[in-house]
Amino acid sequence: MEAVGQRIECQWCHGQSPAGAQSCVTCGAPLDVRNLVSDSGWREAPRLRDMTEFHFGSSSCQVEGELVPVAEITLSPEDGVFFEHHVMLWKDQTVPVGVMPLQGMMKRSFAGMPHIVTTARGPGRIAFSRDATGELVVLPLHPSMELDAREHAFLLASHTVQYSYTRIQGMRTALFGGQGMFMDRFIAAGQPGLLILHGYGNVFERQLAAGQSILLEPGAYLYKDSSVQMTVETQKLSTGLFGGAGLHMVRMTGPGRLGIQSMYVHHATE
Amino acid sequence: MASNPPPPPDQGSPKWGSPANPAPAPGQGSPNFGSPANPVQPGGPPPGPPPAGPASPGGQPAGAPGWAPQPGMPFPFRRGPLGIPIPDISRMPGPGGPFPPQQVPPGTPFAPPPAMAQPPAAAPAPPGSYTCPWCSMSSQTPGTSCPSCGAPVDVRAIQDTSGWTQLPAVKDMARIQFGQSTCQIEGTVVPVADVTLDGGESVYFMHHTLLFRDDGVTIDTLKLRGGWSRTFAGMPLVMVQATGKGHIAFSHDAAGEIVALPIQVGSGVEVREHTMLIASGATAYDWVMSGIYFTTMKGQNEQETHYPMGQFLDRFTAPRAPGLVLLHAKGNAFVRRLGPGETMLIKPTALLYKDLSVSMHLHFEHPAGAYRSWRSWGNRYLWLRCIGPGRVAVESAFVPVEDPGFDLMGSSPATRQQW
Repeated sequence: MEAVGQRIECQWCHGQSPAGAQSCVTCGAPLDVRNLVSDSGWREAPRLRDMTEFHFGSSSCQVEGELVPVAEITLSPEDGVFFEHHVMLWKDQTVPVGVMPLQGMMKRSFAGMPHIVTTARGPGRIAFSRDATGELVVLPLHPSMELDAREHAFLLASHTVQYSYTRIQGMRTALFGGQGMFMDRFIAAGQPGLLILHGYGNVFERQLAAGQSILLEPGAYLYKDSSVQMTVETQKLSTGLFGGAGLHMVRMTGPGRLGIQSMYVHHATE
Repeated sequence: MASNPPPPPDQGSPKWGSPANPAPAPGQGSPNFGSPANPVQPGGPPPGPPPAGPASPGGQPAGAPGWAPQPGMPFPFRRGPLGIPIPDISRMPGPGGPFPPQQVPPGTPFAPPPAMAQPPAAAPAPPGSYTCPWCSMSSQTPGTSCPSCGAPVDVRAIQDTSGWTQLPAVKDMARIQFGQSTCQIEGTVVPVADVTLDGGESVYFMHHTLLFRDDGVTIDTLKLRGGWSRTFAGMPLVMVQATGKGHIAFSHDAAGEIVALPIQVGSGVEVREHTMLIASGATAYDWVMSGIYFTTMKGQNEQETHYPMGQFLDRFTAPRAPGLVLLHAKGNAFVRRLGPGETMLIKPTALLYKDLSVSMHLHFEHPAGAYRSWRSWGNRYLWLRCIGPGRVAVESAFVPVEDPGFDLMGSSPATRQQW
């Protein structure tokens, strides 16, 4: 937390909140809790307090619950959100829903990505949650920011965010990278936006310097800046007569942010 | 959970050794428990301890004969589909020797393996030091958490009225020291064990718990014996060892807690399979038969053997230097210390770890008034009876016990109670 004049700067999203605020008005991170950084350089994503409220556009989001938290959105008439339909928990009857036009339906089918991305517009309330213990990662996107996320990890994004998908480079990375051939890409083109992910277990983030790299369990990857490069490395673990197993790990190379989840999706070794 | 005293003689009492079912003489071959000639008796064998005697590194009681076909002992193959013989893993030799039902003469006093009967008493703590109530290790400057197990020092033990003590959750970012290396516990929902290797130490683990590592840490396969048995039992075939200098981190795939078990020289623990997260290089690893199974018969000849807590247990000991084992408990973890002869019934799949001095066997319980039809499962409840002395720990998020409910044909030593 850094006081800037009469404002407080959030160390997670760098948004500014009024002095005396308990949580960031932009991302909901508690402002009176110090950063938790491990010896190895990973920073814990801020644990959002129950009933924390923050704002985007002229709408607001309230986080409810702690084990499997719910994001409850109060949409203003000029705002909207998009999401995968199966994360919708409840909504007001008056909130209209629609379908976002997507390109490359055939590719998405082959890649196991959602065919349908649903949109909802205000005014009204709508709430979202996922199906496992974890935490919400609130990522305000500033203009010109590009962020890649593991497929099916995004809970919702504001309508000002452009949604796309990017093909994972390299056959080995696509086969053993733990998430298929594509991953979601979110771009804040002209105006700021909001992206909320659901990470299984606990979520950690670190900033990789240019050329700095780290090896990850493929299922642990949650999000990264588009500038972070991803490749897969395989190590043979031999067990004599029984052959052994190939241990695949993802090498992430900076510069940029990298987020991981501790309850990762395990993909069997070959 | 309530304490269960030993059953009175007229209920779940042992019938083993009764005139109708005399105990085998010492040295006699193991009875074919559950065979038509020696069916399971209501009451079963005694609720006693496992065979006494010093344990070999593989867990085989000293004095037990090496595995060889004995008169009356079935061949370790059984008839499979189309009459093809397939290995009967319940009777295959393993590191714990053959796997016939354990025979315990009635009245045998409990004699834990002498080498590792009880965790040795901790050395007297120097004045002014802090002794952790959980791991009994002393430290001079514990800070806010015990440097040996990470338990917070400023939290009182939470004990329920039945005697179970809730293991205190390790504080976020708490550090645990082993040798010159440290382990930092990060997160609270699915915590991560982030190990900083100093270069002189190593850790080993199951490869699927690896979360991330630096380039300075190298990993290689740890040699394990008994690959066939491990494969048949569904245990991990590959155990990986990490050495070098740098960071390497681990986590499991379920919400829960990390339980740190410092192991003093000469002591050890047995852990239910797949709960281990990592162990320090100074900790010796072995795996032993759990000795807990039962056999059911479906139809005329479809016999199936069930291992309600797995076929094997992981055993960790510290033969030369203190060791450290980290477990991942699903849900919350609770521990209690059983007195000598004190018993406790727990769900077999809930066991997290136990001291080597704690013995265990099956207990079948049939509720009163239950109607049993030709297809019903007889309303039996399956329990694991743990017998002290020693620690027993359970996890709260356990999977249901596998019991198809077919006719019971045999089991490892067990007691039975019909209400």
